[in-house]
Amino acid sequence: MISILDSPAMYLICGLIILFVAIVSAVFLIRAYRAGKAIGMDSDVLKRAITSSATFSILPSVGILLGVIALSGSLGTPWPWLRLSVIGALHYETQVAQGAAEQVGMTALSAAQMTPTAFATIALLMSICIMWGMILSIFFNKMYLGRMGGRQSRKQESPETAEKKTAEKTGARQGFGDAAMIAMFIGLVSAYIGSYIGGFVSGNGRFAFKGSLVPIIVAAVSAAVMALFTWLAEKKHMVWLESFSIAGSMLIGMLAAIFFG
Amino acid sequence: MDRQDQKQQYFNDYNNRTHVIGRIVSAVTLVLLVGAPFVIGTYLGAMPDMHAVLKGFLAVGIVWTVSSVVEFLVYTPMLGAGGGYLAFITGNLINMKIPCAMNAREIAGTRAGTPENEIISTLSIATSSLVTIVVLALGVLLLVPLQPVLQSPALQPAFENVVPALFGAMAYMYYRKNLKLALAPLLLMSALFILVPSLISSTSMMIIPSGALTIVLAYLIWKKRGTILDPPGTDLSGAEDKEDTEGTAK
Repeated sequence: MISILDSPAMYLICGLIILFVAIVSAVFLIRAYRAGKAIGMDSDVLKRAITSSATFSILPSVGILLGVIALSGSLGTPWPWLRLSVIGALHYETQVAQGAAEQVGMTALSAAQMTPTAFATIALLMSICIMWGMILSIFFNKMYLGRMGGRQSRKQESPETAEKKTAEKTGARQGFGDAAMIAMFIGLVSAYIGSYIGGFVSGNGRFAFKGSLVPIIVAAVSAAVMALFTWLAEKKHMVWLESFSIAGSMLIGMLAAIFFG
Repeated sequence: MDRQDQKQQYFNDYNNRTHVIGRIVSAVTLVLLVGAPFVIGTYLGAMPDMHAVLKGFLAVGIVWTVSSVVEFLVYTPMLGAGGGYLAFITGNLINMKIPCAMNAREIAGTRAGTPENEIISTLSIATSSLVTIVVLALGVLLLVPLQPVLQSPALQPAFENVVPALFGAMAYMYYRKNLKLALAPLLLMSALFILVPSLISSTSMMIIPSGALTIVLAYLIWKKRGTILDPPGTDLSGAEDKEDTEGTAK
């Protein structure tokens, strides 16, 4: 069964869909770059956004590749390759694939128990469970963003606009939309850092302090390296470093995991 | 029409076309992804068992449906139009796309709701998607020689900690300028996870109360001072290691 799931025909079906998404991404990239130039953005800034995003994405992508390898044992390589290249999320795919396997009567997600019907069913379930983000985008993205934008522009039309605008330009005052987004992200990061602390203190029994310390060490090392990079970029004027600082910090943080793990 | 108006007009046209293209490609991708199991089924000679699909959806799908709605509501304003369509097509939001876009906009220095931010966000998500596609394609191509290296026991701790490494670096980036704001959610979430450790497995849902709390606090600070940035001299810019001592001290 696994040899059929790894057959050239499977690679072709999955590869074509991935190719389609790659073309879509390239089109968005080129359109945004051209529009950025057209509205007068500095091409250096645009290029730095691209470089930093590229270096940023390499390590998480290798992590995702490990997800493909993990699932390839039971589902063959092409299908997990498609799932994780397009739409999928690392934590999602394994969980849904396992849940789906149970529904078709398998005791575990394994190649030995896989049948054509089981595979087709698992594959469909993996596609269906995560499609809502796309559906919501199709119907509501424009309205949702329009509404938020509308609220912002109404605010700007208020009498204090001129004064507020100058203040915004000097950096003394920021719009609340911007502040809210940063706050949301700080909340997100804090939840994750908090979960590492909680995991260490109570992960193996409440207040037992026997959970894993590794995620905290990794986050701390990564933060310290990031601090060093930021200092070099700002105080030593090595601005080019900014594009690589997150990737570099992550790499050294992950190396710390090998030593402490 | 002055230059500013022209720029705005151009950007509005660009944005409208982004919505048209975004909707079309999202719909096509949706058809391809849901259609693929049937095409594969035809090739394998067996169709999906719809009864099992329905049962499976009720068992595991409902949770993901709720989390998809939350993701859409929270992340769309962060990603903008182009970035939003693309990110929901290409996935891996929390562990890559969102931090990636936030990092790019930090480097470019753009602000939410501006045309510049929309451009940077789209560039960032598109680049990130392409890098993932290339890395995965290379990985699959070189699977035989790569597999023993990537799965070697020595490297496992590194790959298990991609997300802590990512959030450690991002924490420094954002805490240093907003330390006062960050302290409350950090302390509160740590306390919550310490007291109710079972919540750790649903951290991706716990970002909602944490984010909501931080937004409320941010609003109070913003109303008072017009910005949420710490006053100059009291931020972390000169004292780099403060965040990690916080992280490890608790």
